[in-house]
Amino acid sequence: MAAARVSAAPLDPRIERYAELAVRVGANVQPGQLVEVLAHVEHADVARAVARSAYRAGARYVDVLYRDQHLRRSLIEYAPDDVLSWTPPWLLERAKQMGDENAAIVALTGDAEPELLADLPGERVGKARMLELAEENNRQINEQLNNWTVVGVPNAGWAQQMFGEPDLERLWQAVEFCVRLDEPDPVAAWRAHVGRIGRRAAALNDLELDAIRFLGPGTDLTVGLLQQSRWQGVESKTAKGLPYVANMPTEEVFTTPDSARTEGHVRSTRPLALAGQIVRGLEVRFEAGRIVDVQAEEGADVVRGELKTDARAPFLGEVALVDGTSRIGRTGLTFLETLFDENATCHVAYGSAYTEAVEGGGTVEGVNDSTVHTDFMVGGPDVNVDGVRRDGTVVPLLRNDVWQLEDD
Amino acid sequence: MAPGPSVDDRLERYAELAVQVGANIEAGQTVFIQMIVEHAPFARALTRAAYAAGARYVDVWYRDEHVRKAMIEYGPDSALEHAPDWLKTKYGSMSGNALIASTGDPEPELMADLDGERVGRARMKELSAIAQAQMMARQINWTGLAYPSEGWADKVFGEPDLERLWEAVAFCTRLDEPEPVAAWREHMARLESRAAKLNELAFDALRYRGPGTDFTVGLLAGARWLSAVFHTASGRPYVPNMPTEEIFTTPDCRRAEGTIASSRPLALLGDVVEGLKLTVAGGRIVGVQADHGAELVRSQLASDERAPYFGELALVDGTSRVGQTGLTFFDTLFDENATCHIAYGFGIAESFEGEPGEGMNVSSVHTDFMVGGPELEIDGLTADGHAVPILREDEWQLPE
Repeated sequence: MAAARVSAAPLDPRIERYAELAVRVGANVQPGQLVEVLAHVEHADVARAVARSAYRAGARYVDVLYRDQHLRRSLIEYAPDDVLSWTPPWLLERAKQMGDENAAIVALTGDAEPELLADLPGERVGKARMLELAEENNRQINEQLNNWTVVGVPNAGWAQQMFGEPDLERLWQAVEFCVRLDEPDPVAAWRAHVGRIGRRAAALNDLELDAIRFLGPGTDLTVGLLQQSRWQGVESKTAKGLPYVANMPTEEVFTTPDSARTEGHVRSTRPLALAGQIVRGLEVRFEAGRIVDVQAEEGADVVRGELKTDARAPFLGEVALVDGTSRIGRTGLTFLETLFDENATCHVAYGSAYTEAVEGGGTVEGVNDSTVHTDFMVGGPDVNVDGVRRDGTVVPLLRNDVWQLEDD
Repeated sequence: MAPGPSVDDRLERYAELAVQVGANIEAGQTVFIQMIVEHAPFARALTRAAYAAGARYVDVWYRDEHVRKAMIEYGPDSALEHAPDWLKTKYGSMSGNALIASTGDPEPELMADLDGERVGRARMKELSAIAQAQMMARQINWTGLAYPSEGWADKVFGEPDLERLWEAVAFCTRLDEPEPVAAWREHMARLESRAAKLNELAFDALRYRGPGTDFTVGLLAGARWLSAVFHTASGRPYVPNMPTEEIFTTPDCRRAEGTIASSRPLALLGDVVEGLKLTVAGGRIVGVQADHGAELVRSQLASDERAPYFGELALVDGTSRVGQTGLTFFDTLFDENATCHIAYGFGIAESFEGEPGEGMNVSSVHTDFMVGGPELEIDGLTADGHAVPILREDEWQLPE
């Protein structure tokens, strides 16, 4: 019964500051905006602080939707097959309204019980996603309707998973470091960070790359790019031009690859928390863009189940580069949470692409479209990353985790 | 970390009771659960129980009073009564399905420091209107139960003794029985037989006599006595309140005379009324006295023209488990089941087979106050003036 205990403790100033950062820098909530907060029940303290902060920023209404992994577990365990992927019409209506009214969105992650679903059949776990809702969310991302952000909420379960003990304070300190809350002026620190990663994206765009190549232990992977692929980092803009930071933390420059031109094999360098399970030692082989083989020491079924979600799930939708200056990488921790771990090192994602990283958007051939999007980590000091230019010349991008292009 | 959910047996049994007896869900129904986020352990147990009973889909909507507080404190005026469209759609989808809600506020004082006027306005009126229409049309099999919390325990006992509160709640809801579901079926049958007997006797009036009480109130030929076993329009029985110990009817609001002394404290509008005494003439409450809180009652009676007339009579005897605890729970769900009570304000439409006639009171308020106890005698009066004992020394006098 203690699992969902919601603290009634006095307000933690750290939580208020974190919420303020998520609202002001992350989602960049505007006066008069509708604001959606997506949280797990275990995140109630932060969700409440975000609601306060959003109203203070002038939100016209804050709609907090709590999710509960235990309810998802019951659904997977007991519900009839045909409702596993069903989206209740009111939730779809809610999501559409958020899109149509250009709501600001603050999503909270940080699984309090990351292995809650571990003993359930992987295939049902993979299927238990609201498909229509995922499609609607894709539309909103593709049409760049919302200023949104995702932030991680420290909790005892997450700390337990990471450290082997529920050392919440240690996790809080790691998170504060990663999201620059330890800086005297976090907002200014984020501005500087936006500038540096932006310069990396500009340098990569200038190179007019045709492919990215990862070479390391168990990995020889070539990810083809589109002529229209554009590198981006940290700051995004809505279709109407409102800037926001979609992930906090974020350290990556990323782009949308040509989903037809991924070749080779890749060994994941970090564990991946997926659908309530931990995937370890993931190895994936690609042919003509498609994932044709999945192996893992643990959790291969969850990945295989997810790849069956739709026809385009087994193709890449993202490639992202991260160097050793990453604050997440520097903690030396595995957070077992994609939001953090994908920023520790280079990663690729199978599933949907970000059309904002493509000139011409989603209509360009080769931009993948799926209802899933799963990032897995492929970088590290032993993995060299090269850019292959259209004229065939090879440009080193990362060596021993050190960024090789200009970014000052 | 343990991979599975931690299962508290008492909570699982409570959830089964809510699903099988309270909402009495039907296989294939969607089950809607509405709780504050602090009640997540209960929502989870209810979800498991609902799927186990054949629910097609379980939808839990967690509300958060702290988010509502943020809205009242910092939000614009236009936010206060705003009901998002998706919630209206969701409420509409409840027709034909089941609903389970909980009471038991862990922080009863949360809004105390806010502007009372804004707190009062912060209600999703459009949702209430949809819900009321569904209740009137009997489209939902629903139930409400309390979930114990430390904050509530503190209010009841003066200390946050959660275990003691749980034991009281378990006793009141018959969770302490080896077979709670069977115990409830038996309990409901007994209440239904009491209601049937009173309907058969068709009294013209009830007379209450005890310390400070000498009160006669007319009954309506068209109003039946009911137990708290309700039926949906399609005939599915459900128990909207757990616990429930009462049988009740709607009196003739035109015929009430005498004096009434309340026998228990009454929690009203965030305060407690003690030692309430009412004087009644021509159906109307004409005098209000109390050791504490008389003003609260007077102001409520002034809220509309028909507030000072009676809307409900409920009979509860000494076998009531709520009464046996001797506790004041500060939760109407419990307190009104402790002993006999009377409500001023609106009458209960369900009491009537057809259209309620003029005798049913119509008002915007409905407040139950307790009048029962071992010293109270209640008689049924027949049309020709015979008195038939119904309650003596808290014991039920009619055959059952």
